[in-house]
Amino acid sequence: MSTITRAPSYLGVGLVWAYRMTFGALFPTTCKYEPSCSEYAIQALRKHGLVRGSAMAGWRLLRCNPWSHGGHDPVR
Amino acid sequence: MIHLLLASIPIITPLEHLARNALDWIHTHLGLSWAWSIVALTVIVRMLLVPLTVKQIHSMQNLQRFAPQMKEIQKKYKSDKQKQNEELMKFYRENQINPAASCLPMLAQIPVFISLYYALRAFAKNPPPGDLSWLHFIPNITWHANAFWGGYVLLVVYVASQMASSLYMSATADKTQRYLFMLMPLVFVFVIAHFPAGLVLYWVTTNLWTVGQGLITRRLMPRPQAPEKKSSRTPPKDEPGDGGENGAQPKQPAPKPAPAAKAAPPRRVRRKKQAGRR
Repeated sequence: MSTITRAPSYLGVGLVWAYRMTFGALFPTTCKYEPSCSEYAIQALRKHGLVRGSAMAGWRLLRCNPWSHGGHDPVR
Repeated sequence: MIHLLLASIPIITPLEHLARNALDWIHTHLGLSWAWSIVALTVIVRMLLVPLTVKQIHSMQNLQRFAPQMKEIQKKYKSDKQKQNEELMKFYRENQINPAASCLPMLAQIPVFISLYYALRAFAKNPPPGDLSWLHFIPNITWHANAFWGGYVLLVVYVASQMASSLYMSATADKTQRYLFMLMPLVFVFVIAHFPAGLVLYWVTTNLWTVGQGLITRRLMPRPQAPEKKSSRTPPKDEPGDGGENGAQPKQPAPKPAPAAKAAPPRRVRRKKQAGRR
């Protein structure tokens, strides 16, 4: 059951991996946060599922802008 | 395979239309060839991103001020990468450093890239009226870059420009990471060789813009002064070992520690005496 409920989040994790293999590699950049945005997205998806995990990852991406200070920001 | 997957995402078609319309507009209103329209579109996009990148370059210069201290942290936690990262992030926060690299500006480039990719694919299927060549060495911007000799020239320029732009834009103090970024285009050139030449042209233009912007901002904006707090508290006389090890230490402002050193001796004497009485 838990595998079924977790399935959508696996899809999200797969998409993040696809991003890492393609655009992440083509447009290399270092993230100002620790863990990095893609790692944060994977952790958030695994911990909170597809909907909440995606929202958290999206919010993190918006925060990862030139005006923010970055830093240690783990998934809670 | 990837483009089929991407094509199924509903946002791709509007993006493709947007790129197509933008190229159409530049081609008809400015009278440029299709290849030059791509260059112009790239320049317009990069001009819109100027405030963002200027901020990034400012941050990068700020980051370079603290390079010696950051190197020390890296040395200290050499074996534990995660701890090293955490300590670096803490250091950033304590010193109000805003690391240059952030994911959002990089992500902003992706829609432009995808839209151009699809627009050029559509061009290949239904070639629009007008000149599709560029500077006599690219006969057709919709052809794959590895399909003609001019494409190889473009690929060489791509690799060089990508390396140069990584040199300017990778703000990381980690040397291995920096080398990795520099070597990345040598690996990816094999993938990019299968992309339409017009897309490689976009890439070359955006990279050259990055390099030019980096050069201009470095010339126009003087580097901020080295930090005076913290570093001035560690007088070189007391800890010769620490200062000597770090090659970047002489870059610290020499006159600034002096006033601190003048003020320091009487305090130290008092402390020592008090400690002796106890």
